[in-house]
Amino acid sequence: MSARAAGSLMPSPWLEAHDLCKRFPGVVALKGVNFDVRPGEIHALCGENGAGKSTLIKLLCGIHPHGSYEGSLRVAGQPAAFRGVRDAERAGIAAITQEFALVDELSVAENIFLGREPRRGWRIDWPRLHAEAAGLLRQFGLPISPETPVRELGVGHKQLVEIVRALGKHSRLLILDEPTAALTEQEVAVLMENLRRLRREGTACIYISHRLEEVLALADRITVLRDGATVASLEAGEATIPGLIRPMVGRELTAQFPARPPPPATQTAPLLAVRNLRVAPAAGAPAFLRDLSFHVRPGEVLGVGGLMGAGRTELLLHLFGGWGRRLAGSVELAGAVLPATGGPREAIDAGLVLVSEDRRRFGLILDQDVGFNLSLSSLGQFARWRGLDRPREHLANQRWMDRLRIKAASQAVRVGGLSGGNQQKVVLGRVLMTGPRVILLDEPTRGIDVGAKREIYELVGELTAGGAAVLVVSSELPELIGLCDRIVMLHQGAVGGEFSRADFSPERLLAAALGQAAAA
Amino acid sequence: MRASSTLRPLVMPLALATIGAYFALAEPAFLGSRNLTQLMIEYSITATLALGMFLVILTGQIDLSVGSGVGLIGGLAAVLVFKHGWSAPAALGLGFVLAVATWSLMGALIIKQRVPSFIITLGGLLIFKGLFWKIIDNSTIPVSRGDEDNLYSLLTTYYLPTIAGAGVAAAAVLGLAWLSWRARRERAAAGLPLERGAWAVVKLLAAAGAIGAVPWICAHFRGVPLSVLILAGVASLVYFLTQHTRFGRHLYAIGGNEEAAVLAGISVPRVVVAAFAFMGAMVAVTGFTVTAYSGASTPTVGDLMELDAIAACVIGGTSLKGGRGSVVGVLLGALIMATLLNGMTLLAVPPELKFIARGAVLGLAVWADVRFGRNRA
Repeated sequence: MSARAAGSLMPSPWLEAHDLCKRFPGVVALKGVNFDVRPGEIHALCGENGAGKSTLIKLLCGIHPHGSYEGSLRVAGQPAAFRGVRDAERAGIAAITQEFALVDELSVAENIFLGREPRRGWRIDWPRLHAEAAGLLRQFGLPISPETPVRELGVGHKQLVEIVRALGKHSRLLILDEPTAALTEQEVAVLMENLRRLRREGTACIYISHRLEEVLALADRITVLRDGATVASLEAGEATIPGLIRPMVGRELTAQFPARPPPPATQTAPLLAVRNLRVAPAAGAPAFLRDLSFHVRPGEVLGVGGLMGAGRTELLLHLFGGWGRRLAGSVELAGAVLPATGGPREAIDAGLVLVSEDRRRFGLILDQDVGFNLSLSSLGQFARWRGLDRPREHLANQRWMDRLRIKAASQAVRVGGLSGGNQQKVVLGRVLMTGPRVILLDEPTRGIDVGAKREIYELVGELTAGGAAVLVVSSELPELIGLCDRIVMLHQGAVGGEFSRADFSPERLLAAALGQAAAA
Repeated sequence: MRASSTLRPLVMPLALATIGAYFALAEPAFLGSRNLTQLMIEYSITATLALGMFLVILTGQIDLSVGSGVGLIGGLAAVLVFKHGWSAPAALGLGFVLAVATWSLMGALIIKQRVPSFIITLGGLLIFKGLFWKIIDNSTIPVSRGDEDNLYSLLTTYYLPTIAGAGVAAAAVLGLAWLSWRARRERAAAGLPLERGAWAVVKLLAAAGAIGAVPWICAHFRGVPLSVLILAGVASLVYFLTQHTRFGRHLYAIGGNEEAAVLAGISVPRVVVAAFAFMGAMVAVTGFTVTAYSGASTPTVGDLMELDAIAACVIGGTSLKGGRGSVVGVLLGALIMATLLNGMTLLAVPPELKFIARGAVLGLAVWADVRFGRNRA
């Protein structure tokens, strides 16, 4: 606890951020962040998905260069104007994100010294490189040889090698974004121990994690972000888990929700029933989705929430036949079992459709026109022995364009040139044309304007009024609360809590997502 | 860029006309009936193979093995007929079935085992070349015994008499007129806007002129070559497949965005294997016609034909990334390549310069496509 005591003596901050604002076209990601980090301090950043944490980090480590944001940044008392990542690195800031920046085919030692290899004349000084790398690894208590190719390392060791590499650059500030998301308990312990050692040696650290126990155990101070602004800054000694959750929630509504009719009677037979589902990413891997059970009735909207990486998208993709290997459990649609081996075609034929969160990558053929995309999943309806019935297809496309109010001059307009909202409507039209009974929507309003959001909410209402069951995954708690009849919160691949409308409160939902159902 | 994008559809026909005009001025025999008939045979051989390649490229794959395959399948049928005394239809039939089976297998390896098509078909190129030389024993195997004609040798030596050729052309024009009239009536019945009647008639007359020109040109030589009829059949089939069937939509969707195609419920493996099976069928047909054209199977038959087929697709505006291209474009691309080669041969251009000229035209065509806007499928 000596480091905490030292922290309370308040040495002058090493990094100071004043009123940082960052705008993207159509969105304000940061609106007034105030923040500082002292040398030898572990400073935790908390906040919901989309609170602005990633934007803040990208700004600190030079990915968003000076001039692209407002506000001031000072490092070691001097104004800092990073033009790029290299400037930030030279100033002593190193960020380790969830996407690894290691070269898989090179050895651990080569990765640690990538781009700054010790030289003798014009040749690389291999003996020195290996000796120094071995020294750094030993200091970290990492039992790996510097000559091991990085591709042979597990995720945990890769993470630690990245940290070693950052320290090899004599960084004064380490930024760790969800470093423990993929680590085993033992690897977490090694990481924690090393971070505490670095703190004693005077290295500062910004630590981002959704695991609040970890944050409380490790951090000296905690700053909470919400809607792009700092809303609380606490000394770790004063903080409690409910005390952290409270400022995190309470995000503003960005759209009005249409009124929902009363939910269907509880004795109505479910349209989709999922029982004890266990799914692994691939054969032989441990289960990622664990013992999931839930159901959706006809006319009902079930929300699926959870933090990034909780398994929301994987769950929807698995139900649709597009992800993972089922280890146990069953999925029933209107009483009929959906076989675990079926693919998307079988799901569509059974009446279950998916609208993916990434419409440009998974939802659309961007180079083709609106009509091509709308009818793509329903071509069987227009097939004849002498070819597709194109006039009938044209009319069906037109009906969906009108019903969804897709704003395009004609069906012959290329989909890639439409706005986000209209692209999303084309994906919706494509899946709805197949006549589904269960509709899975993954982040259906991501990146679209307020008007189109409202239209999509209304469409969900129309679909359920027609007897369909809808599953909505959303990172926005207000959206889940405004749109759904019931909500299931996922936590690390399992159900963290299930709520009916009377129990909806942002605090309770977020606590369930954090695995803290008892805290709220 | 507006003017260039409205002129775009005319760029290739204009390039073709320029090339043709140059050769006609440089060597009047270029426009002779004999030479044009020869050009048509060479053209239909390349274009048939290019149409097979078109389906493969539409899915975003590539096939480098077709040149060797053409030699192998043609050589196999020649060996069966000449050395083993098989009847020509039986030998051709077996070659056809083997080709379809082999290409389906390559397609399955590519899409199910995820081995890149570049590698699988590069391996195919070498293996087929080796097998080809082995079965013809590095020698010359005629496609028929003695001087007698059989189905195999007739593939490029049979000419439809001018009267019959004119009859087939007339039937094709009538069929086209009926099809477009029926499509028009169906659109009208569905209450959809119609193209102006006069414009439809103009388009039909243009098509009739192009179709009618074939027997007219051939009248002064021996008649309409059989391989032209084969190409007409294949081109109609590929046009129908790509524009009027689910299979065709799926080809474009897979080439445009394979991940989205999977999630749209398309069985990607089935479609890609089918495209390769069709490629195999076109390899067999081309193998037979090109071997028959040279009169015998020799070790150089099929050399570099894969590159001609790919070049025809690319010059015709097919995207190598997949998802973009049209049958008419491929037919025009193949015609440009065939005309260039035929004209240069007629002018006795040395072979080394012919290679350089073809390579330059390929580069120029793709550069123009990238520079002057994207070709929309």
